[in-house]
Amino acid sequence: MVRLRPRLGPLTPWVLLGVALLVLPDLMRTTVATEVWIFAILALAFNLLLGYTGLLSFGQATFFGAGAYTAGLLLIHQRVHPLVALAAAALAGGLVAAVVGYLCIRRVGLYFIMLTFAFNLMAYFIVYQASSITGGVDGLPGVPRPPVNLYFVAWDIRPGVAYYLFVSLIFFLSALVLKRVVDSPLGLVFQAIRENEARAAALGYNTWAFKRLAFVSSGAFSGLAGALYGMLFGIVPIDTIYWVTSGNIVFMTLIGGTGSFFGPIIGAIFFIWLAETVSVRWERWPLIFGLVFVFVIFFFRGGFVEVWRRLRAVLPKSGRGVWPDYGPSKD
Amino acid sequence: MPDLAATVTIQLFNGLVVGMIYALIGIGLTLILGLLDIPNFAHGALYALGAYLLLQLLGLTGSFWLGLLIAPVVVFILSMLLERLLIRPLYPVGSNYVLLFTFAVSVIVQELIILVWGPVGFSVLPPSILAGSVELGLFSYPRYHIFVMLVSVAVILALWLLLERTRYGAIMRAGIENKTMVSALGIDVYRLFTLGFGLGAYLAALAGVLMAPIRGLMPYMGVDILPFAFVVVALGGLGNIIGAIAAGLIIGVTQSLTTQFWPQGSTITIFAVMAAILLIRPQGLFGAR
Repeated sequence: MVRLRPRLGPLTPWVLLGVALLVLPDLMRTTVATEVWIFAILALAFNLLLGYTGLLSFGQATFFGAGAYTAGLLLIHQRVHPLVALAAAALAGGLVAAVVGYLCIRRVGLYFIMLTFAFNLMAYFIVYQASSITGGVDGLPGVPRPPVNLYFVAWDIRPGVAYYLFVSLIFFLSALVLKRVVDSPLGLVFQAIRENEARAAALGYNTWAFKRLAFVSSGAFSGLAGALYGMLFGIVPIDTIYWVTSGNIVFMTLIGGTGSFFGPIIGAIFFIWLAETVSVRWERWPLIFGLVFVFVIFFFRGGFVEVWRRLRAVLPKSGRGVWPDYGPSKD
Repeated sequence: MPDLAATVTIQLFNGLVVGMIYALIGIGLTLILGLLDIPNFAHGALYALGAYLLLQLLGLTGSFWLGLLIAPVVVFILSMLLERLLIRPLYPVGSNYVLLFTFAVSVIVQELIILVWGPVGFSVLPPSILAGSVELGLFSYPRYHIFVMLVSVAVILALWLLLERTRYGAIMRAGIENKTMVSALGIDVYRLFTLGFGLGAYLAALAGVLMAPIRGLMPYMGVDILPFAFVVVALGGLGNIIGAIAAGLIIGVTQSLTTQFWPQGSTITIFAVMAAILLIRPQGLFGAR
């Protein structure tokens, strides 16, 4: 029997996301709003690992930085098309993730975390030492933002608002692709690995291969975000590949909520807002960041998503029955 | 070429000295990892805290020896409090959250160090008895380095005796192997965790104190040392002291020899060595699992 009940459709989050994309530039400076969506790509890519596959990678900045430097160097020296730069950055992020993943996924659990972290530092030192190519600690300056030439139109993305639209578009497409992946049978295998790797393996899935696939995909999207970041500021700062950035990515995903696809986006918005608001007032803002992090760990573990769920549990029911997470449906 | 031979020998010695300090840090980390099942991201911060407390005690008392004795003990007590009050409530929540908490602690401690002692580095002189060098035939070698070597060997030996020859050590090793079983035998594993965390932190702080006259003090010294500690543990194997010593020495010697001949590549070489070892032996040098 078909029940006709008004309920939140699967499209609602996308509509909300569209509204957020339109409203955000009114709430903060355009550059900051652009940064939000770049970090939202990073957070979504990371949640593919943590939230869906159960892999806590503490080295996401490796792939972010790999993409940023690849795109930066190509744009500076080869004057490539921005979309070529984005593709190359995604490729670079994916390739670096393939190498790091090949080595790290051999060890499980805690060792995996420690190794992703160690390789992150290795990548940082390589960039730091190769200063003739990468600019070392000073970063890689002079990254241009050439127009996006498609057959008959040239979209000038140099103005801040135009670039915001460009980034929003890339973000939206990335989110669509990632959502499609996690809802696909492939995404279900990832979740099976998260829930019980031994059982997934017993069902005949090559869990190593699937974990590597998740790792490489996450790396590719992180690389893409890196390219956008370099083009936003016209410089690739060495911070893009620094381990603190890896920690920040974990933090924003956690504060948004790993239990939902859209949660990390809220986390990215909150994190960038917090960083921008506090860092201009106090140089030692990482201290505030650390304290907020502790607060989140103790009192706010489910992230914003959990708050939303609790609110919905308390508020009058809007047609929808028991929240499915709390037990079997009473239909 | 006797000059080259002397240079290589000196670098080899330097590598062994620094390697023993890495081993101390690594043993502390591997103890915590084995007992609490978390990679302690605050380990580097505790190492830095040890060094800065030495600086403070040097300023207050003028005695390096007092600092050497007291600074690690202060860190030992502080970290046991930290474990008891803040980490313990997180055990039921899951090890990912404990890990993230230690990450937050490392950020907070680093920022507090900058707030209290400033962002600029300091250098610390070894005590006057240990200043200068000893003639070793082919070359002369700094006294302080030899002292560090002896202290590290003594501490590791004492730790080994504690773990292998005492009742507490046996409980601790059993805790690393199987916490449920230890708990079933009527031993309070949580007290074991507190002690283990404190002991690991003590070793990190001691390493920081010993390293201070060699490399000086910087607020970011903890962050800089953390990857080395992780590499030592990943190569040495879980809760494995011998493995940690071997890995620490390999890394120390590799680092100091490459610093001599290819300074730009010294850090990268270490990670390359790590990658190579992981390719050949994914379980680490001595790891069984």
